[in-house]
Formats: sequence, C-alpha cells, structure tokens
Amino acid sequence: MKILIKNALITNQRSPFNGQRKDLLIEDGIISDINTAIATDADKIIDSPNLIVSTGWVDVFAHFNEPGYEHRETIETGMEAGMAGGYTHLFLVPNTNPVVQNKSIIEFIKRKAVGKPVNLLPIGAATKDTEGKDLAEMWEMHQAGAIAFGDGLNGIQSAGLLLKALQYIKAFDSTLIQLPIDKSIGTHGLINEGIVSTQLGLPGMPSVAEHIVIKRDIDLLKYTDSKLHITAVSTSESLKLIKAAKAEGLHISCSVTPYHLFFSDEDLMEYDTNLKVNPPLRTKKDVEALRNGVLDGTIDCIASHHFPQHWDNKSCEFEYAKNGMLNLQTAFNVLLTALPAISVEKLVEMLSDNARKLFNIPTSTIEKGAKADITLFTNTGNTIFTKESNKSKSQNSPFFDKTLNGKVVGTIYNNEINLTK
Amino acid sequence: MKLSTKHLLGIRQLLKEDIETILSTATQFKEVLQRPVKKVPSLRDITIVNLFYENSTRTRISFELAEKRLSADTVNFTVSGSSAAKGETLLDTVNNILSMKVDMVVMRHSASGAPHFLAKHIPAAIINAGDGINEHPTQALLDAFSMIEKFGSLQGLKVAIIGDIMHSRVALSNIYLLNKMGAKVMVAGPPTLIPKYIAEAMNVTVEYDVKKALQWCDVANVLRIQLERQNQPLFSSLREYSLAYGINKRLLESLGKDITIMHPGPINRGVELDSDVADGNSSIILHQVENGLAVRMAVLYLLSNRD
Repeated sequence: MKILIKNALITNQRSPFNGQRKDLLIEDGIISDINTAIATDADKIIDSPNLIVSTGWVDVFAHFNEPGYEHRETIETGMEAGMAGGYTHLFLVPNTNPVVQNKSIIEFIKRKAVGKPVNLLPIGAATKDTEGKDLAEMWEMHQAGAIAFGDGLNGIQSAGLLLKALQYIKAFDSTLIQLPIDKSIGTHGLINEGIVSTQLGLPGMPSVAEHIVIKRDIDLLKYTDSKLHITAVSTSESLKLIKAAKAEGLHISCSVTPYHLFFSDEDLMEYDTNLKVNPPLRTKKDVEALRNGVLDGTIDCIASHHFPQHWDNKSCEFEYAKNGMLNLQTAFNVLLTALPAISVEKLVEMLSDNARKLFNIPTSTIEKGAKADITLFTNTGNTIFTKESNKSKSQNSPFFDKTLNGKVVGTIYNNEINLTK
Repeated sequence: MKLSTKHLLGIRQLLKEDIETILSTATQFKEVLQRPVKKVPSLRDITIVNLFYENSTRTRISFELAEKRLSADTVNFTVSGSSAAKGETLLDTVNNILSMKVDMVVMRHSASGAPHFLAKHIPAAIINAGDGINEHPTQALLDAFSMIEKFGSLQGLKVAIIGDIMHSRVALSNIYLLNKMGAKVMVAGPPTLIPKYIAEAMNVTVEYDVKKALQWCDVANVLRIQLERQNQPLFSSLREYSLAYGINKRLLESLGKDITIMHPGPINRGVELDSDVADGNSSIILHQVENGLAVRMAVLYLLSNRD
C-alpha cells in the first residue's frame, strides 16, 4: 500500500526533519521518501490543514477487560478506541479474569493485535492473582512479551513484597508500575477528602494515603536500585516527592491521567458517577500542580486509565457506582483542552517519546527507510466526542458532546492505516 | 407561596427565603394540629410513596402522619419484603412505582446523594428523608422550628452540635441551616468523629472538650453515636465515650447556666445522653418530634405545588 501524507509538520527529535513541514511517502509500511512536495500517485492521500506527524502514541495504562469482563470492553473494541485516540502502542493492565499472570495469557492478548495498526503490550501481574501475596511468574511473562509488571488497579500494599518484586525484575531490566494508594487509609472513602467531601457528606480518601506509599516506594527503589513507574499521580505533594527522587538520580518516572488534569473535586457537586475514579479527583490546587508537572517535566507521560464500566455500574447511587471512565479516545483532546498552550514538542514527549524511552519500546524515527509508526494529528481545530463516534463498548465518559481541542487524524503502524472520520 | 426548588434534596440547595417560607407554613400547620379535627384536604388526590431503604421509626411515622393529615394517598415501601431485596436497582424500583402515577417520593437511603441521583432521572418531586452521611433536611428544619419556638430567632444563637459529627446527616443539615439563618455553630466530639476539613468547609468552630462546648452554647444538639455506620475503630469503647463525651446532669449543673438540650433520636441512653438530662427540664426533645409533623406537612404542601 502506498500512502502520501501532504505537508505535515514533522515532530520527532531524532528525525533529521524535526520541525520541518514536508510530504511523506509510505510504501508497504516503510517511509520511502520525505521531501517538499512529493508528486506521485498513492492509494491514499492524507491532506489536512495544520497536519502534524509524530511517532505513534503510547498509552501506559488501559483496561480492556478481556478475558473475563467482555460486557464492558473487549480487546477488539478497546483497540478501536485506542486507534481512534491516536495510539499505536497500548499497555493493558493485568486485572482481567483470569489475571494476566502467565505466558499463555500474554500470548493470547498479543495475538489479538496481529494485522492491526496497533501493538498490544500487556502489563504482567507482579503478584499471583494481583492479591499482593506471592510473586507471579514474571520472568516467563517477560520472555513472552510483558512490557512491565504491576498489580494494575491493586496497588501493592506490602512493603516486603514490593521490595522483592523490584529486585526480581532487575534480572530482565523491566519496570514496576505502581498505583500508589494505601488501602488502610480512607478505606471506605468515595472521593478526595477535603472541603467538597465534607460539604457533600461523602466519605473522603485523604491524599496522604497516596503520599505515604510514594515515600515508601521511593525508599524501596533506592534500596533495590530497580525501575519504578508511579501511575496516576494526583496530588501536588506526590509530585514534590517524585521530583526530589528524580534529582537523586533514581530510576523513577510517573504518569498522570488526562482527567486529573481536567477535573477537580469541585466538579463532583452533583454526584456525577462518571467522575468517580481511583485515585479520586483532587483539589484545584492539585490540578494546577499537575499541569505544571507536565510542563516542567516532573511528569513523564499520560496514562489514559481507560476503564470502561457497564452502564448499571454508573447509573446508580454514587456510593455503589464503580470507579473509572473511558479515556483512550479523548486523552489527547482532554490534555490539549486542559493545557491549551502546551507546545507540540511537549505533547509528543508526553504521548510518545518518554514512554518509549522508559519502557524500552523499539524507538522509531521519522526518516527515510524507517518503519512507519506514526500518529497524525492537529493541535488546532476541535473534536466533539459523541455516543456515535465512541468506539468503546461502554459509555462511561463525562466528555460526551463536549467540544475539546485538537484532532486526531489517524495512525499508521504495522503496514496498516487507521483514519478517524 | 413557592420554594425556589422542585425537590427537597438538602438544606444546601435552599435559599434563606425558602427556609423562612417552610417555617412560617409549619407554624400554620402546627395550629391545625391543635384543632379537634386535625385533617385538612390540601393534598387530596396527591399520591406519595414513602421509600425507606433504611430503618426509621420517627421519620417514617412522622412523614406518613403528615401525609395523612394533608389527605394525601400514601404507599409505603421498605426494602425488606420488596424486590429491592432481590437486587432490583433503585432506578428500576422507582420507575416501576412511578408508572403507577405517583406524584411525590419521600426517600431515606444509606447512600449519600441517592435522592440527588433520583432527581436527575425521574419527574416526581423528591423529599430527602436522610441520605447516608449527607443530609437530613426535615430534621434540620424541625430543629430550627423548635429553637425559634424557644428563642424567637436563630440570629446570633450559639448552637453546639455534639457527638458523632462524621457519620451524622443531622449535623450537616443543621450546620447548613444554622449558617444560612445567622446562628453560630460549634461542633464538638472526639477528633476521630469530626471531619478534618469541617471548619473551612462548613464555617464552624471545632472543640474537643465537651464541657467547653456546653459552656459556650445556648443550645446543645446532641447526636447519636452511629454504631451501624462505623466500619473502623473510631473510639475505644462506649464506656470511655460516655465518660469523656457523655452529657449528664452533674456536668450540666457544673456549667452555672441553663442551656437547652436537643437530640434527633433515637437516644443511646447512658452513652451520649443520660436519662435525667434527656427527660429533664432543659430538654425539648419531645417538642422536636411534635414539630417534625408540622414541618413535614409544610414541606409536602409547598412541594406539591397546590395553591
């Protein structure tokens, strides 16, 4: 297949064409030419105003619910949502049923992406059944293609076990992904503990439940000299801790969800169950700190925390509603709406470059002869996410019918092309 | 007379004028309740369902009696013995009931925000009869009515709310109401039962010493220890709670001044309140119950949109 991309701004630091507007010709999945005004026939011509091209985007934390919970999402529908969101690489959490904890489930997931313009990268469970008691067979999962390890939605509670997991993965240079929450604090909490939770009469989850886990994990990281990625940082204090640990030279990185950059707990005044998430939406001050954390480099990447929920788990009393929201398809738009002044370079770092470096994803460049692993988008214009355009099997998004900044035009990966309408 | 809102979800959503309207309407209904014939035809042909997802004695009886005094048709629903016990969702239950042409729903529920959820999905007027640890607006209104009856006004009145503030919907509704009406509010109790952010969130002062709170206040609204809502150890034992925070006659006498004692009920006698205080001269607890009926009649009447 021959694809001609017209007049796109190449944003890829490793590319000799970085920062230049060029035409790109892609033949059979390989970038065969980059030039000013390529005149040739093609099976597909992509010509969009203000088009930008970067290496394909990477999401480091999404839940596709298959196997086990296919009524919420399947790998098929999840991939569709990811592609529509501009992603070519998707990390999947292990909290399926059965849990992603052996070679065959890793292979089952990876097989689903064959022939698709997207690469599925399962996160292997760090502990058996993600119960936080015994180590899972991480070495074999690594051989089978697990991108990283962690218990996904269940942050590892035991310090001793986390220490062993961090040590264990050093043998194959992997990374542990941790969701930092101490479950013994604010155990029955439903939203961030603060002024809003008090005014709404909802049990609170104190932000300290996040800080003490990050503090502890940093100490364990120092001890083990391993690699740790904290996902869904949600408070300003967490960022301070991570920033200091980075300054010490530890192999620590972190990601933020698009919604923690967009909403604060003040948006919960009407008990909107779509905004019930874990970690919870924090205060406006935290949102401000997280936005700065993106801009100043403390935060390395965006993690969608795409968690589809069946409608009856959201159309109910707030207390009984389950955590999570759809995010893959809107992550870029939400990021750009929360941070409208963000530079294109920063966007690409957050959505692609940093995650590739941190997790050793074979890096692609945009140059002649390279395999095409690219995302096409514009940071101008806007997107209205609707129930009709939604690719996920579930509908738990607070962004329906909202006008969001930017547009994903399409992705090319694995000699396949996916264009959004 | 009309309220600014279609539902009574909480005091938080009410304007000061709404509160005044409800209280003055309640005064008229209280007069009705003194008559030999206590029934008025105000809500004839209005159907009200009392939806009680959680146990209740006085609130349920009070609402039902208020509805009957207003000549409304009433249906009672309790969770045991209904399809909710079989796992039917709240929305399905209510939609089924509404298809039988119900005009108003009075709901008690163990989840904060449950009536707000319902209000978004169904057309009937909803009256919150207590939701989780959020609000219990008619309790706050009847407390206000009782205090005004005794003191004439709430302006500048010093009210101490004492006990399990964290698990109390009565506390939150009272604080909202008292602040809107110009009273001064203090909350007192063990630190584990007082929400950390309550001072800034709700504009109240916090006191951990019950005696100091009693010395400061004109009215002490004593709350029940909500043993059924506590799922973590928040204090050591009822014995120690009673020793440190319980209110007894000797403590009251040591204050050197008279204060008024209120309690939303049911009382854990000998825990937060001794019997000789609960039944003593400074207590207006039974007035509260009596006034509850008039206040609930006022709320039902005003939200029925019958002029």
